Amino acid sequence: MRNWLNALLLLLFTVVLIPSADAAADAATCLGCHGSMEGTVNVNQEKYAKSVHGSFDCIMCHMSLKGAQHQGLSGKADKATIELAASISSKSKIDPTAQAACAQCHADIYELYKASVHGKNVIIKKSSDGPVCTSCHGSAHYIQPKASKESTVNHFNVVQSCGKCHEEKHLAEKYRFSPLVMERYLESFHGRKLKVGHNGAPSCVSCHGSHDIKNVEDPSSPVAGANKIKTCSKCHPGATEKFVAAITHKPLHPIAHYAEIILIILTVSVFAFICIHVLLDIYADIRDRLFRKGGKHE
Amino acid sequence: MNNKNIPTEIERFDLSARIQHVIMFTTFLLLSFTGWGLKYAYQDPASAWIRFWGGAKMAGIIHRAAGITMLLDFIYHQFYLLNLARKKDLRLTLVPMPKDVVDAFHNFMYFFGFRKEKPYFGKFNYMQKFDYWAVYWGMFIIGASGFFLAFPVMVSSIFPAWSTQWIWDVLFIMHSDEALLAIVFILIFHFYNEHLRSEVFPMNWMWLTGKMSIEQLKHHHPMEYDNLFGEKSEKKK
Repeated sequence: MRNWLNALLLLLFTVVLIPSADAAADAATCLGCHGSMEGTVNVNQEKYAKSVHGSFDCIMCHMSLKGAQHQGLSGKADKATIELAASISSKSKIDPTAQAACAQCHADIYELYKASVHGKNVIIKKSSDGPVCTSCHGSAHYIQPKASKESTVNHFNVVQSCGKCHEEKHLAEKYRFSPLVMERYLESFHGRKLKVGHNGAPSCVSCHGSHDIKNVEDPSSPVAGANKIKTCSKCHPGATEKFVAAITHKPLHPIAHYAEIILIILTVSVFAFICIHVLLDIYADIRDRLFRKGGKHE
Repeated sequence: MNNKNIPTEIERFDLSARIQHVIMFTTFLLLSFTGWGLKYAYQDPASAWIRFWGGAKMAGIIHRAAGITMLLDFIYHQFYLLNLARKKDLRLTLVPMPKDVVDAFHNFMYFFGFRKEKPYFGKFNYMQKFDYWAVYWGMFIIGASGFFLAFPVMVSSIFPAWSTQWIWDVLFIMHSDEALLAIVFILIFHFYNEHLRSEVFPMNWMWLTGKMSIEQLKHHHPMEYDNLFGEKSEKKK
């Protein structure tokens, strides 16, 4: 009898210690290993705890973990998530299920994304170029609220996030967007004002939209055709077709380019002339004081 | 020479002209300070500098207000000139003349030591004329482009459709590059001539008093001196 009881106690202990989906698969269990591992599988515990998802259990997103070390540590992905994971697997190599899991809670945003030029490229065309959630928002482990200065999609940071792809020449060629889109935006009044902290200055998403972004040739794009007038009017009331033609992000027009060169030549010439004039004046002044003792001077 | 008729100093700028100058340089400095932050937005101190001016929105308001004040000051100056002309007080002493080119050449000869004497300058020498007309250039290039950029929706209706592809870039380049030229010009040419020159350091007080001593006039503007007090002028009167 006593032996039997001991065996039962031992069995109970073992059950508690064996990692199980129901009882022990909270973040602390995973971070026991992943908190100190190196490379892409590392999760920074401190930063994770501070993120908007910091209270989540890992398996809420990592629903189909593989390998013996994860045995019993897994959630249960529904059919939609499994399908989505399959279609983004060329983009998301490490854990497509976890990438697809965003849609479970953010279903409304997922619907917008699915219809966007980015979403179609990833989900339908199965391209590895297009962005998934984490491409813009960063790792789900460390997502900060949009208002936070650390957020990659904060009003003042989102331009850099877009630039990660839209500055790339090979993508510009492949998808026929202006290769100078970033440069031309950054040097514009809009870009400069945003840089020096103007809340009202538009970032990329202010005009182009974010999750629902469309190709400019798509008539539903906010910068296509007559929609552009409406979009510009948000800040410039009374905008007309002629007015909205100002912003194209295209390379500098030759007339503007040569106007700049002429003005630079003018500026440099005047600069050179006045510098020489002032230096000669100083020279003559010193010379006169030292050698000519000009009595007429005060 | 009749010394009794020669005063010890002579007024070169009346009160109105002095006030116009004060408004001009105050707005110029405000425009330079706030505009600099936007022109060099991607250089490190720009954001902190804009914060010093009350943030991007406030700096923008200061820039626009100063710009409009400067344009009004410039327009007022045209009426001031018209009024002088009406009172027959307007002497065309600032109009560039062929003599200015000769004077400039002579001045360079003097710099290099080929001439012993400074040129026979009139009421305003060629450098001062340059200074004066530079403001007109600035007003037409920087002032006009600045006005267009400040009211883009309104202004876009007057530009022809074929210019919309480049006109805003041209206006922006004009405003930005010529503002740099104006700042450099003032900082080097005007500051040297009116502040740093050993005779006037730390500044030429004429901007406050409007007056120049007769010795200064005789030395720097001999033609004007001779016109006013020389033998010839006495004959005329």
